[in-house]
Amino acid sequence: MTALPDSAIDRGARALVLPTGILLAVLAGAWLAAVARAPIDVGQGVIAKIVFVHPPLAFAAYAGFVLTAIGGALFLWRGDEAWDRLARAAAEVGVLFCTLVIVTGPIWAKGAWGRWWSWDPRLTITLLLWFVYLAYLLLRSFTEGSERAARFAAVYGIAGLAVIPLNYFAIEMAGGRSMHPENLQRGSLGAGMGWPFALGALVCLVAFTHLLARRIEVEALRGALAEQLEGAPRGLENG
Amino acid sequence: MNTLIAILWKDLVSEWRSRDRIVAMALFSFLVVIVLHFALPDVDPIAVRRLAPGLLWVAYVFAALLGFNRAFALELENEALSALAMAPADRGFVFLGKAAANFVLLAVVQFATAVVFGLAFALDLVPLAAPLAGVVALGSIGLCSVGTLFSAVAVRTRYREVMLPLLILPLLVPVLLGAVSATAALLQGEGVPPESVQLLVVTDAVFLIVSFLGFDYVLDE
Repeated sequence: MTALPDSAIDRGARALVLPTGILLAVLAGAWLAAVARAPIDVGQGVIAKIVFVHPPLAFAAYAGFVLTAIGGALFLWRGDEAWDRLARAAAEVGVLFCTLVIVTGPIWAKGAWGRWWSWDPRLTITLLLWFVYLAYLLLRSFTEGSERAARFAAVYGIAGLAVIPLNYFAIEMAGGRSMHPENLQRGSLGAGMGWPFALGALVCLVAFTHLLARRIEVEALRGALAEQLEGAPRGLENG
Repeated sequence: MNTLIAILWKDLVSEWRSRDRIVAMALFSFLVVIVLHFALPDVDPIAVRRLAPGLLWVAYVFAALLGFNRAFALELENEALSALAMAPADRGFVFLGKAAANFVLLAVVQFATAVVFGLAFALDLVPLAAPLAGVVALGSIGLCSVGTLFSAVAVRTRYREVMLPLLILPLLVPVLLGAVSATAALLQGEGVPPESVQLLVVTDAVFLIVSFLGFDYVLDE
């Protein structure tokens, strides 16, 4: 029996799976109830309730991409594979949340702006990020050798993060007028909307942490299994 | 610094002897121009001036992708890439040498493409030659830096020809936006807008730094 990796990241991931799972179940129920009871927007109608889903999903997606770059940079610096497991897990979970952002966005846009898509800066940047991190995952699966894949992916993940501010500047310059509210100031949400929104953000971050921890655990198990199979006598792999 | 010049010289000499990469790139970008011409029949001269910057840069990016894909494929033969990795030289300068060679090849192709483009779309680019060359050079620095870095990555993956565009196209958006807006201003008879130049210079700097440092990690021992 090969021992599971015992770095702080793996231990943390294992410890987080159960509590975040329970917390998620409780919070999700509270969130659904809060969203159901939240007042209906005067201007946009019931479609505006997507405000409790769409931005919180985006927070989780961005958290995933930042963690991917940090994990990649620390892997290159320290050479510890646990950082690479973190980067890879964060990229996968980030892509999942980013996909949900890109799906929920147009639903809201059709209701609020009257069309499915606009080349609004924040939209464009999210779309580009989605492409970058899908390419990141493809790069990992098309590269042979886990250490090499980790190195390649880390460099790409860092480049992907470095390009965000450049994109922002570029798209602003190209005259893409923002249709997103500039920021969430105190009171920019209507009365009775603050709580469900905060709960939504919390649910998404807890869900993100839970999936991330699970994904890191799976990756650690996979690594341990591969190691065990390598050491086993020939023939055992197939049987 | 010597490494840079040695690699640049080696790449240019080997290209000069075979001339296969530059011919393929140029032919391909001429074909893109011809295809674009047939894709947009009956455009009036005013519309041509409005569309030309984007079309020209599409041709440039396609030609560059084709060329970058070959830049390291050549080094795979006889394990030359491993030799480059083991060379007692700073890998950052190996990167700069490869990128500079790509830049020179691309510049030649870009010049030829601009001539063909001007003829195909009846556009007189000669009076704009000097500022246009400056803008194209600024755009190409960013293009060649990420292109060279990730072609070294893509060449050692499966589906390498597909992998390179998937990796670099989403990163090239700031370069393209800056270059296209500057080219558009030139074609409209205005000066180059300072914010485009600023964007291109900042993007070039960021891409050069990331690629210079990142290249250390993309070569195998």
